[in-house]
Amino acid sequence: MTRWQRMIRRFDPVGRRLVTAVVYAFLAFLTIPIVYTFVASFASSADGVLPSGFATLENWRVVMGYADYGVQTTVGRSLLFSAGIATGGTVVNLLVGVPIAYALTRYEFFARDWLNALAILPLVPGIVLGIAFLRAYPENASTSFGLVVGYALLKSPYMVLTVQSSFQSMDLRRIEESARSLGASWPRTFLTVILPNAKNGIVAGSIITWTLAAAEFNFTYMVYSQGPRPFSLFLFENINNAPFLQSAAAISIYFLIVVSAIVVLQFLGNRGFTTTTTNP
Amino acid sequence: MSITTTATRYREIATEFASVLASPSTEREREQRRIAVMCLPFFVLGTFAAFVPLVVMARMSVSADPFENAGYSLEAWRTLATDSTYLTVAWNTLWFAALTTIVSVALGVAISHALEKYSLPFENVLVAVLSFPIALPGIVVAFLIVTLLGRQGLVTNLAAVFTGQSAIDLATATTVTGLFIGYVYSLVPRSTMVLRGTYAEINTDAEEAARALGAGSIETFCHVTLPQIRPGVVAAIILTFRSALAIFGTVLVLGGLTVATVRINYEISVGFDSQLAGAIGVVYFLFILTFTFASLRFVETSVVEL
Repeated sequence: MTRWQRMIRRFDPVGRRLVTAVVYAFLAFLTIPIVYTFVASFASSADGVLPSGFATLENWRVVMGYADYGVQTTVGRSLLFSAGIATGGTVVNLLVGVPIAYALTRYEFFARDWLNALAILPLVPGIVLGIAFLRAYPENASTSFGLVVGYALLKSPYMVLTVQSSFQSMDLRRIEESARSLGASWPRTFLTVILPNAKNGIVAGSIITWTLAAAEFNFTYMVYSQGPRPFSLFLFENINNAPFLQSAAAISIYFLIVVSAIVVLQFLGNRGFTTTTTNP
Repeated sequence: MSITTTATRYREIATEFASVLASPSTEREREQRRIAVMCLPFFVLGTFAAFVPLVVMARMSVSADPFENAGYSLEAWRTLATDSTYLTVAWNTLWFAALTTIVSVALGVAISHALEKYSLPFENVLVAVLSFPIALPGIVVAFLIVTLLGRQGLVTNLAAVFTGQSAIDLATATTVTGLFIGYVYSLVPRSTMVLRGTYAEINTDAEEAARALGAGSIETFCHVTLPQIRPGVVAAIILTFRSALAIFGTVLVLGGLTVATVRINYEISVGFDSQLAGAIGVVYFLFILTFTFASLRFVETSVVEL
């Protein structure tokens, strides 16, 4: 054993403890501001070192629009608007993402790898797509239609990856051949045999793309000009202008959405807010 | 081969392809038609939502009129090439993304190692918490950094109590340090998710053999585990770097450094220099495209995770 090896060995018992400490420290760093924000949204005063005067629903009342004062936009209208747009984007993603995920997983064809890269990697940053939309579709960029199309493009990789992950865990060729040999046509095989088997991945992909689209900021901020204010801009307005406790309440609304999404994803077999599905 | 015969040849191929799509006669041809039909919606979306707008944006960068695409002027590109401001912006964007990527991937290796090897309690909950920031828009991440490091932040106040300095002097949220921490906050979860996939595929026999033959745990990690996860580390670096490049909301709220995304926004909101914004957009998109396809040669796309 060289001296160098002996020296390294001395750190072995420390190594594991150190790595564990780093992991917990990082998780604390992730969690503390989230929990703090959520708790602070129920405080009535932020004058001291820590928020005080628990527990009041006043901040929630203001952002929900039940108070007579506060920010111009209330969450109800903007969240409803964004939920609608995000649903539209998710529907487009289902129509676009599921078929191409199947083609990429099941078949070998010309330039498949290139197409795969295009489908699973977001290539255009939201802000660049935003200025491109402003000039290409000046009339439509900030309409509901423009936002739906933009969100669909920006979030499609998440749909393709999640559904692909589900398809990859199935023996597609065998399922397809069995159904065909029993007399089902190809479209019928795809719609009534393949898709139901990939149900979990498709639902998980929809939840992920919906949640991300509901709070999409970069593209929205660039194209928005008039009309109902999307949810992410409501959050931005709060973060920039509202008192701390009120912003905390506004952001906590989104936290609740993400937590619900993660809980449902967990039931579907996804580990957390990720595109990996483990089929049961 | 002359141009006309090449053209004829291409026309023949196209006609053949069209006839295969219209009336396939063999199973192979039917399969080709299926592939074409299933990829079609993606091509339609890609054309109208990405290709056309990006071409229009490129045209915008050489327009003489800032409000519509009319006339030609290379003014914006000349400014971009000669004004040193833009060199600084490019340099800021690159070094900051590179540094945050390296730190985020290193932390990601530690976290995915612990999750895979140490059987920590409540692993499911830990993974769920770890994935939470992936869902957060940049502006929310910025807000969370302010709750920690802003003038009224938790860490700031704690430091003020211990050092006796005023909290206002200690606040770092809106400096480059705060921005760095904000980037790491949103990037570590992404790098960890990529690395977890690789960790799950490690052949543990080799590690056990190394330990049985007397190697220590650090030696085993360096000589047995690390070579096995190398593809995952490379993929994590590529994907994290790409994510870092696209960050906008966090910088918009925190400030601290002018990166390309923020500069594009600045060109539009101050003086509406749409040509210059378009030119930066073109360079930025081409860089991401080239970087992605050049680096993909080093990784399998099966490790991609978002």
